[in-house]
Amino acid sequence: MLSVKDVSKSYSGHRALTDVSIEVPKQSIFGLLGPNGAGKTSLIRIVNQITAPDSGQIFFDGEPLKARHVEQIGYLPEERGLYRKMKAGEQAIYLAQLKGMPKAEAKRILKDWFEKFQILDWWDKKVEELSKGMAQKIQFITTVMHNPKLLILDEPFSGFDPINTNLVKDELMRLRDEGTTIILSTHNMGSVEEICEEIALINKSKKVLGGPVADIRKQYSQDLFRISFKGNMLDFTNALWTNFELVEKHSEDDNYHSCKVKLLGDNTLNNLLQALIPVVEIQGVEELIPTMNEVFIAAVNEKMEDQSHE
Amino acid sequence: MNKTGLIIKREYLTRVKKKSFIVMTFLGPLLFAGLMVGAIFLAMSDDTTHNVLVTDEFGIVVGEGPDGKPVKATPRFFEDSERIHYFFTNDPISDQEFIDSEYTLLLQTNELTFNNGKAELVHKKLPSMSVKSQIKNELEGALEEVRILRKQKNNEIILTYEQYKSINQKVTLVDQDIESDKKDSLKQERAAVGFVFAVIIYFFIFLYGVQVMRGVIEEKTNRIVEVIVSSVKPFQLMMGKIVGIGLVGLTQFLLWVVLSGVIFLIVQIVFNAGYVSPSAVLDQQQMAQVGGDQQDLYAVLAQNPVFEVLFRINWPLMIGSFIFYFIGGFLLYGSLFAAVGAAVDSETDTQQFMLPVSIPLVFGFIVAEFMLTNPEGSIGQIFAIIPFTSPIVMMLQVAMGPTGGIWLVLTSALVLIATFILIVWIAGKIYRTGILMYGKKASYKELWRWLRFKS
Repeated sequence: MLSVKDVSKSYSGHRALTDVSIEVPKQSIFGLLGPNGAGKTSLIRIVNQITAPDSGQIFFDGEPLKARHVEQIGYLPEERGLYRKMKAGEQAIYLAQLKGMPKAEAKRILKDWFEKFQILDWWDKKVEELSKGMAQKIQFITTVMHNPKLLILDEPFSGFDPINTNLVKDELMRLRDEGTTIILSTHNMGSVEEICEEIALINKSKKVLGGPVADIRKQYSQDLFRISFKGNMLDFTNALWTNFELVEKHSEDDNYHSCKVKLLGDNTLNNLLQALIPVVEIQGVEELIPTMNEVFIAAVNEKMEDQSHE
Repeated sequence: MNKTGLIIKREYLTRVKKKSFIVMTFLGPLLFAGLMVGAIFLAMSDDTTHNVLVTDEFGIVVGEGPDGKPVKATPRFFEDSERIHYFFTNDPISDQEFIDSEYTLLLQTNELTFNNGKAELVHKKLPSMSVKSQIKNELEGALEEVRILRKQKNNEIILTYEQYKSINQKVTLVDQDIESDKKDSLKQERAAVGFVFAVIIYFFIFLYGVQVMRGVIEEKTNRIVEVIVSSVKPFQLMMGKIVGIGLVGLTQFLLWVVLSGVIFLIVQIVFNAGYVSPSAVLDQQQMAQVGGDQQDLYAVLAQNPVFEVLFRINWPLMIGSFIFYFIGGFLLYGSLFAAVGAAVDSETDTQQFMLPVSIPLVFGFIVAEFMLTNPEGSIGQIFAIIPFTSPIVMMLQVAMGPTGGIWLVLTSALVLIATFILIVWIAGKIYRTGILMYGKKASYKELWRWLRFKS
């Protein structure tokens, strides 16, 4: 759906993007991750044609990105707002018209959306009279109202309570199922795990990680397992010997324990179980795949270590 | 609808619908009309005592008394009133003699006065309208009586209608300032009319230019700007804002003109009917007499010094150039103000950029003031060409009939067009970068860098 090829951009000596390439598959939710100031917003602005790249190319649905594509893109910036003195409905119609929608159609569609988000009563109220949550809803609506092929959302959940967060999440997944491609830029790793299929992680202007979420988490797995068992803790630690490392232990009582164990060297889970079965009674085994949060921190720190070595 | 059009429409409608706009629309003309009425009232209530010397070389209204001294030929007229005293002579008086004398006004007849009723009223200081019309009435009466007396002398006692018409002729007094010989041009007065337009342009550029700046800052602090520039080009947003607000200014101005006109007319009718000096009523009667005859109406109006000045101005050119320079000046300064708004985060930060933007504007105003006393100086021509001052200065030039002729108007207009294209382009570049920069107070060095960014 969207291909970014070797895009670079710098602002008066400061490099915002260095040869970044990403491939966003059609009808998916794509996570664009990275620490603050990594270059995510620069990339998003380039895709939105707010700024132009110094070099590199962008393809929208196979075609080089052109001005007319803005009508097929919906963008919810991180720094977002509305005209405070304008009425909610009037303003939404204005924004829809700027996206190229005819007025009557915009009004009909917007009324439906306002209804769905339970803010129809506020149609004729000025934005300054609205609560922050309501304003956020309007912003979300104005991003999706023109049924864009590509949605770019920068921190869409900030400012929403858990109920509305779920409302928005459900809406996003419904839109995806109906064919919309969604790029989600967020620091909320929980929602990345929950709804993103693929991610790209940008750090210090470069893409450092990319691919399906499950693969990436596997890639960062550190051969950690949680073992629950009945038996003596001392016997357990002795059995680990030098082939395995006890990372964390948790004892329910003298006879029931739950421990985090890391495989060392070429040892496998089978080796671990062979060593343990004779001494304790195993209750449960679970592979500990790192959360996106851990992957994020690991990936960013790794990069920083690389740089300090250079 | 085209996107820039949508932006213009929003900018225009949200402002025109505001209460403050409506209040200003009605208060403005009241204020204007109040000022005008006040000025007229002041012009009418003149309490200086005038010594009027009637010099009549041809012995029309001044004859020779029994003691050989010149006296008025008609006892009924030129009676001294409380504030006007008349003196008579048959000898011409030199300008210097008049300046040194205690006379304040000099009523000069010439060989044609007897027939066409034209005489000159030479002043040291322009007399009020009421004084002037009193003197006019006296001369008119005296001439009528003298004409009848002469006809009696020729034994033409029975008057025919034609004879009466030839007696009853209106008097025209031509003003002349003793210290200058600008009998015809009235340049200073016309410059004053131009000054009024210059003031209007000055205020509108400032008032509405600052609104452009505020609008840009509002969009920036609201953080809506990024949403909008993802749908339209920043340049479209900037131009839409400038044009929309400029149209609000023009609308306000036109409403003021219409409303002021209405109020002024009402006040004038009330004034003329009730109050005012008998002369004004007389004028009305005369106007009624001449009926639908436009030529005569014009002549009657032209006797009024204010109307005389107004009639001498080339109005189509004046209004055309007012609109041109208003639009040109507003585009020029509006885009500068937009760039200032984009370069800062809040209105408190605007000062360092406001100064260089407003100095040329204020300077234009100072030049315009200077031109009031020196309408034909070369300074007025130089600053009529410099585009940052020309929208103000050209108002005076056009009103006076430009000292440099038509080439001055053309050069000035072309330079203004070229400059605003350049400035709009530069401002667009600063704007484009500035609106998405937060928390960074831009320096001039920074702005220079923004100019060179790729779009």
